[in-house]
Order: sequence, then structure tokens, then C-alpha cells
Amino acid sequence: MRPSIDSGQWRRISPFAVVFFVGKTIRNLVRGYVQLAATFGALAVLIRATPYAAFLIPLALLLVIAVAVLRYWFFRFRIEEDRIRIRQGILEKTLVELPFDRIQGINVERRPVDRLLGLVTVSLDTAGSETTEGELPCVKGDLAEELQTRIGAGLRGPPGKQPEGAQGAARGVPAGVGDTADERAIGDRSPRKILLRLSTGDMFRIGLGRDNILLAMMLIAAAWRQPRELPYRLAETFGFSEDFVRPALETAEATLARTDALGETTFTGGIMLTALAVVLALGVGTAFLRYFGFVLWREGTAYRTRGGLLTQKEVVVETAKIQQLTLSQDLLLRWFQRFRLRVHPAVDSDASAHHDVPRVLEVPLLEAPLARELRTSVFGEERDGPILFPKSDQFRRVSPHYIQAHALRLGVVPAVAGALFLIPVTGLTKVWASVAGIWCAVWIVCGGLTALQRWRRLGYVYGRDGMASRGGFVGRRVDAFLYRKVQSVTLKRSPIERRNGLATLQVELASDTVTVPYIDHGVAWRLRDYILYTVESSRRRWH
Amino acid sequence: MFINPEVPLESLPGADNLDWLPLHPRFVRRLQLGALLRVLVIGAIATVAYFLMKGGDSAALGRFADSLLPFALAGFGLFAASILIWPMIAVPRRGYVVREKDILYKTGVLWRSVKAVPFNRVQHTKIDSGLLDRRFGLANLSVFPAGAGGHKIRGLGTDTAERLRVYVSERIEAEAIEPEDDQNSPLPDPQAEASAAHENGPPADAG
Repeated sequence: MRPSIDSGQWRRISPFAVVFFVGKTIRNLVRGYVQLAATFGALAVLIRATPYAAFLIPLALLLVIAVAVLRYWFFRFRIEEDRIRIRQGILEKTLVELPFDRIQGINVERRPVDRLLGLVTVSLDTAGSETTEGELPCVKGDLAEELQTRIGAGLRGPPGKQPEGAQGAARGVPAGVGDTADERAIGDRSPRKILLRLSTGDMFRIGLGRDNILLAMMLIAAAWRQPRELPYRLAETFGFSEDFVRPALETAEATLARTDALGETTFTGGIMLTALAVVLALGVGTAFLRYFGFVLWREGTAYRTRGGLLTQKEVVVETAKIQQLTLSQDLLLRWFQRFRLRVHPAVDSDASAHHDVPRVLEVPLLEAPLARELRTSVFGEERDGPILFPKSDQFRRVSPHYIQAHALRLGVVPAVAGALFLIPVTGLTKVWASVAGIWCAVWIVCGGLTALQRWRRLGYVYGRDGMASRGGFVGRRVDAFLYRKVQSVTLKRSPIERRNGLATLQVELASDTVTVPYIDHGVAWRLRDYILYTVESSRRRWH
Repeated sequence: MFINPEVPLESLPGADNLDWLPLHPRFVRRLQLGALLRVLVIGAIATVAYFLMKGGDSAALGRFADSLLPFALAGFGLFAASILIWPMIAVPRRGYVVREKDILYKTGVLWRSVKAVPFNRVQHTKIDSGLLDRRFGLANLSVFPAGAGGHKIRGLGTDTAERLRVYVSERIEAEAIEPEDDQNSPLPDPQAEASAAHENGPPADAG
């Protein structure tokens, strides 16, 4: 290995980490909104009382910077043969030791400042009992590269000891490609194969293709009784009503209203269109920020993605550590004939509390052949069962009793509760009866239709090696996994399920929980026993 | 070689056929005492609120409090009775089974669930017992795999919990996947093994 990586000495990160630590402190402060409001409130009161208190602001800033400098000063890391140690802390010192084979995924982030200086922030994800995560802020870019190679090599084990053939295939590497990749990975640099590059046009597809955009558009259309008042209200909220927006709006409205009803319709329509454009622009803008220049490639046995307009994010997941694949297709993506794929490595059970975003390798837009290729490569020989495509005819429907149960929960319960709630308001009168009747009818119809639609989306498929569960409401989503990656299995039965000989199978993975409701009880428990058998007899690592 | 003598899979008609071990008999009393304490606290708060409303300056508020009183009493009585009686219904329906390769725990009266955690997926275990638990000589055993699953078996006797924890730890050690082992002994063909031990493979059909 290169001397740069194998020095085995305690090393510092770049001094620019000070900026990073300042940012982190401020972010932590902002996260506690109450705390922030209280601080600013107290400060405002103080400044009103004594003007000298204004000096507190630069003082506080200085303090934050001083803390950041100290944190930088005490931050050391050391890369050893099979592990990395990170030592940090000003008063309370901590030493984190991360064996390379425990690391589930590597994430590299390039903030705008970092990119100018050629620095990156590396975070190392671990699963399970090790709750402390390793984060190396502001290190040199090539160090991150080396670390990734190292971790990849650590996972594959020392060269030569690796059993060939079935084992290689079992790790999810397709025969042929995987062998050469393994051999070359022993050397300095493993081969790269670019699988996907997203164009600017794709950003529009991603931005427009999300179901939540569709929902926002529907909400705008529905929740809008008086569209003409909205711009005024918005103008008031943002506080620029007096200046120029109000007169401009009024003139526009007056000119149009003077003509006729058509003019008013035009005005209303214009506002609707503007709001629509704003929603769409937000969606597309987010897509640009997160995925601009998105690349997916394979390096050795790992999959890597990189993308982002300002802050560039890089995610690395080793194939053997993948727990679950989720393929989803929102309504508009279906029209574009594209999918979205999420590749889940194992995560901490409380990972969502630590990170803003779950550390999942996400491919926001891909076509069917690539999805098929990725599936083959991830599941390898164990391909009987985990079907990825929602349209596959191998999916079985769940029992129609699901509709009954779901309609009961979504429709009848709120309908009855609402009708009873109306009694104190109206009394037991004719008015009550008619209002309650309409209320119940609307709820029951809506609940029934929702239940029916959900049932149509539900499905499951199982095979010798793994299974998949399909769901969704507007769009579709399929979760596919291998039995041997399962952590625990739960069999649940509600009263309706028991009466009809059905059960719900819930499978807990290290990444997520997959639920298959309302399937035959016999199938569910035999599947449960088969999964347990597979897990308990498997001598392979699950991560 | 995979051996799991306690569980001949084909002879197992379902989880109902297992010998479920009950929780500690004192656990019902412990839950009832906990419920009683909760009832007392809520009752005390409600009483204070009632007298504050009555004793205030506003007569309307006092009348409102009086009109609310029967509903509040009825509701409170129902609530108290239900949470005091519930443990007697729920606890006998909970139970656990420790097998050679996994540990199962069942709960639920109307919505029933049976969860199984294989030992070779367990990351760590934990025993905890609160103030009330200790008063009754009880302890809770938690078993954590990676991810969101895992058991929390409440209401075990202190010795039972400790014995179980030791057993689970031993099983974790025994079932731990050792990469060396993995590499030295060539893997038997997973397909052949699967069909030998589990003849039908996964369930054949929904019908």
C-alpha cells in the first residue's frame, strides 16, 4: 500500500475543518428551534435594555469559532491495517475504533467550499451495536479514495484465501465479471464501469415524476375556494404587500374584471397556473440540487453514486452488504417508462435520529434493463424469489378480505365517529340525520375506494432464495430481499384475519421492515418457518 | 452440517403447537399495581382541576364543571376498570419459547403476533428492571438483532431472566458466523442442503 495510507500515525484533518465545525455547531443550534428563539429573545431584550449587550453577538461568534478551532486541534485519526481510529473531543475525549469489515457504507460529501479546496467529508456507516458513527470532516480527496479501496479490500478478505466459484457468486458478483474484478482489486485500483449518467432532461423527469408533486397540484386545485385572495394573503405573509404587489394585483384584477366574467376566469386561471409553475419549479429545482451530474458506477464489488449541484454527495455500498432492493414507480415515471431504485445497506436502528437522510444508495431514474442488470448482480445465483418489477405476473394477490378490513378502518370507523360527534352539535333531529347520512356515505365510499386501490397494488412473490412484496397507492413499489439477510420474522393475526384463516407476515431486515398482509395462514407460517430455517442454517455473513 | 433436533420443521403444524412458557405469575399483580398508580395520579389531577374550576371566580365555569362531572366520573370509572382488569386478560396470552436456534415471543389478545428472532442474528441482549419490577422480583429481557426488530420480553422472574440471558449469550457465541470457518470448510451446495432438510422448500401454493 501507499505510504500515505499506511503510516499508522495519528494524523490531523485539514485546518479548513474549522469552517465545518462552525457550521456544525450553528446547525446544531438551529435544530433546537426553541433554544434558538429563546436565545434571540433574550438577546433582543438585553440589547433594548443596554446597547452594550450588542457586543455579545461577536463574542458568541468568537466563542463558536474558538470551540471549532479546539475541536479541529484535538481531532486526530489513524488508519491501521484493518481498522481506523478516530480520536476527538475537547473536554470529553472519545476514541472510536471502526474495523473495516464492520463498515456498511461510505458516504463522501463535497460542500461548495470543500470543492474549491479539493477536500471531502467522509462518513462511515456501521450497523447494529456500534452506535457511534465515524466522520472525517475535510480530508483530502485521495485519502477518501484510498479508504474506500481499503474497506473494499478488507471486506473481500486477504487475497488467496478467497474460495472460488460458488462463493464468489454467492457474494452477489456475476460469474466472470466478479472474478476479474476481485483479482484486480488486489492491485491498486479496481476497474470502473459506468452504469448510468443522468442528463439535464432527466432532472426534469425526476422533478416532475414524483407523486408528491401530483398531490400538491391536486391540493392546490381542491383546497382553493377563493383563488383570487391567495396572492393577497401570500403578499401579506411575506410582508411586501404595501410596496408594489398589492397595487399591481389590484390593477390587473380591475382591468380584467372590468371586461366580463371571462376576464375573471382568466385571472383565476392565471393564478392557478402560477402556483402550478411554482410547485413544478420547486420539484425540478430540488432534483437539480440533489442529482445534478448524477453518475452510477461499479468499482470492484461496490456500487457508487455521485451527484449534486452545490454539495456533491457520494455513496458507496459493497454488494455483499446490500440487504434489500426497493424499486418504485410513481405515476408519471410510469408514463416516462422509468423507475427509481433504492439500495439499502444495513443501518442503525436509530439511524434516522442521527442523520438527516437515511444512508441509502438511491438511483433516482433508471430504465428497466439497468434495473434488471443490477438485480442480477446483487442477488447473483440466489435469484429465485426476489422479483423486482411490479408488473411481473409472478406476483400473487393478497386476500380480498383486505379490502373489507381496510375499508372498515378507513371508512366506517371515522364515519360512525363523526356521526356520533354531530349529536351534541345538532341534536337528534332531521338535520342530524341528513348531515350524518351524507357524511357517512362520503367516508364509506372514499374509504372503500382507497382500500380497493391499495389492495390492487398489494402483492407478494416468494421463491427458494428470497421474496418480494409489492405495495403503493398512486404509484407502485416493490421491496425485494433474500431470506438469509432477514433479522427476525413476525406472524400477526387480526380478528378478521383469524376468522378467515389469514395472517400478516412481517419480516424485519437490518435496513427496513417488509410487511405482507392478508395472506393464507398456512402459507404465512410455512414461509415463516422456511425463512427461519434459511437464516438459522446459513453460515454466510449477512453483512 | 445443520442440526436442529428440537424443530423437525415438517412435523410442526404451526406456532400454536409449541409449548409456550408463561410469564411470571406475579407479573399480573405488577401491571395492576402500575395501573392503579396511574389511575390514582390521573384521579388526583382531575380532582384538583375540578375544585379549581368550582372555586374560581366564574360561576359559569363552575356550572360547566358540575355538568361535566357525571360524564367524567363514568369515563374515569370505565378507564380505571379496564386498565385494572386488562393485565388479567392480556398476560396469560403472552408467552415465549426458547428453541435451539431461535427465541419466540407471542403477544396480543385481539391482534395477535408471534415474533421469532434467530440467535445467529442477535447483536446483543439486555436485562432491565424498573422500580416496580424489582419490588415484585421481576425483570425484562431484550434481545436486539440489527435493524428495527427484536424482542422485549417483560415480566420474567429475575433468575429466569438471568438464566435466559446467559443461555441466549451462549447460543449467540455458538451460532456466530466465523469467516475462517466459512472459508476453510467448503460450503455444501445450499440447494441440496435445503431440499434435504426441508423437503418442500418454500410453501408450494396459496391454495
